[in-house]
Amino acid sequence: MGYVLEVDGITKKYPAFELKPISFHMEAGEVMGFIGRNGAGKTTTLKSILNLVHPEAGSVRVLGMEYLEHEDEVKQQIGYAVGGISYYKNKKIKDIIAITKTFYENWDEQEYRHFLAAFKLDEEKRLKELSEGMKVKFYLTIALSHHAKLLILDEPTSGLDPVSRDEMNEIFRKLAEKGVAILFSTHITSDLEKCADTITYIKNGELVKTAPMSDFITSYAAEMGGEPSLEDIMVYIEKEEVNL
Amino acid sequence: MKKLLYKEMKLTAHPLSYFFILFALMAMIPGYPIAVGGYFVCLGLFYTYQQARECDDITYTVMLPVRKRDAVKAKYVFAIFIECVAFLLSLILTMVRMNALGGAVVYASNPMMNANAAYLGYLLMIYGLFHLIFIRGFFRTAYKYGKPFVVFTIAGFVLIGIGEVLHHIPGLTGLNDPAMVNAPQLVILVLGLLFYVGGTAVAYAASVKDFERIDL
Repeated sequence: MGYVLEVDGITKKYPAFELKPISFHMEAGEVMGFIGRNGAGKTTTLKSILNLVHPEAGSVRVLGMEYLEHEDEVKQQIGYAVGGISYYKNKKIKDIIAITKTFYENWDEQEYRHFLAAFKLDEEKRLKELSEGMKVKFYLTIALSHHAKLLILDEPTSGLDPVSRDEMNEIFRKLAEKGVAILFSTHITSDLEKCADTITYIKNGELVKTAPMSDFITSYAAEMGGEPSLEDIMVYIEKEEVNL
Repeated sequence: MKKLLYKEMKLTAHPLSYFFILFALMAMIPGYPIAVGGYFVCLGLFYTYQQARECDDITYTVMLPVRKRDAVKAKYVFAIFIECVAFLLSLILTMVRMNALGGAVVYASNPMMNANAAYLGYLLMIYGLFHLIFIRGFFRTAYKYGKPFVVFTIAGFVLIGIGEVLHHIPGLTGLNDPAMVNAPQLVILVLGLLFYVGGTAVAYAASVKDFERIDL
């Protein structure tokens, strides 16, 4: 079976930051935690995958299709959510959905109703009235109602309280069981321990390692000794001397 | 294209973009630089760009299952739609003025621009400038709209000024005929039409090129 997502050597150069060649791939039903410190290049990578940022080099394939050549077809198969942003905040959910669904060939009204109920979303509410957690659920509802096979989520759990984060992690696991591949960036390592199958670590724009969770931890356990958690590994990788 | 236009109308458009179409009624005012009405139609469209930036409309559009360049197309299609409605209203009012009110003293002795074929040509030029200067300028960054609008305002008023001066030049007074269509008026109308179509095509191609390059 082919990969759901193949990222091959994407790079991006800014005056003060460079994303060095990033390559990884994902299979159906895989939850990949994309981890790194603030400013490491997580959002730039995700936006480069989605052509929101124009990468200098590299290619992205989704379900075997070149992203740039089949942009509209690819987007029929993916969902994207970012924490902390609300589109059309003064519009009601039902008004946004009424327009959005016309763009999707596979829009499933029954699924939409199902996720509205499951996520306890009120269609009459305006986006500005939703909490951060509910906004992420709203974006997920859109993605799942058109049967997205790949979800790309940028810090979806940032700004959520522990209970909402735990709920979100459970949602990710259940979606993965249904075959949805989920790539989500975060710097909250405890979320990954609950739901990620693989870890892709990025530091200063450079891919440090991409591996199944257990392999990732084992490889650092040998260097660090004991049974380190993801947080221990992150601190180990990022530790710098503080000079005041 | 239909879906993109519908999306612009329902989610992005500021109500003033529709309301300012009514400035086409300025065609009936005597002793007034009536081509300013065309500028106000563009000002109405400007409010939609303010709203679009505020609600992150561009990113939302790009993430729909469309090509990135379709976000540019959506904005042009909406602007053209509003301009066409305003132009149609201006055309009807111009025909009323020329046919039913052409002999009215206020229009016959009007020192400012009369509504006729030349006036319609100037309107098309203003709309063309809006595409070439404002929309094209906006898509250089997809968020900065202040400077392009100031430049468009200056260019628009220079054009309106030229239109108000031309019909006072001996030999070109026919440009302001309130009742009859003549050759000089038709020249301005055809030039306006060519400028609108050509300018829009150039502006759209350049906007797509710039937008493909920028990072959101």
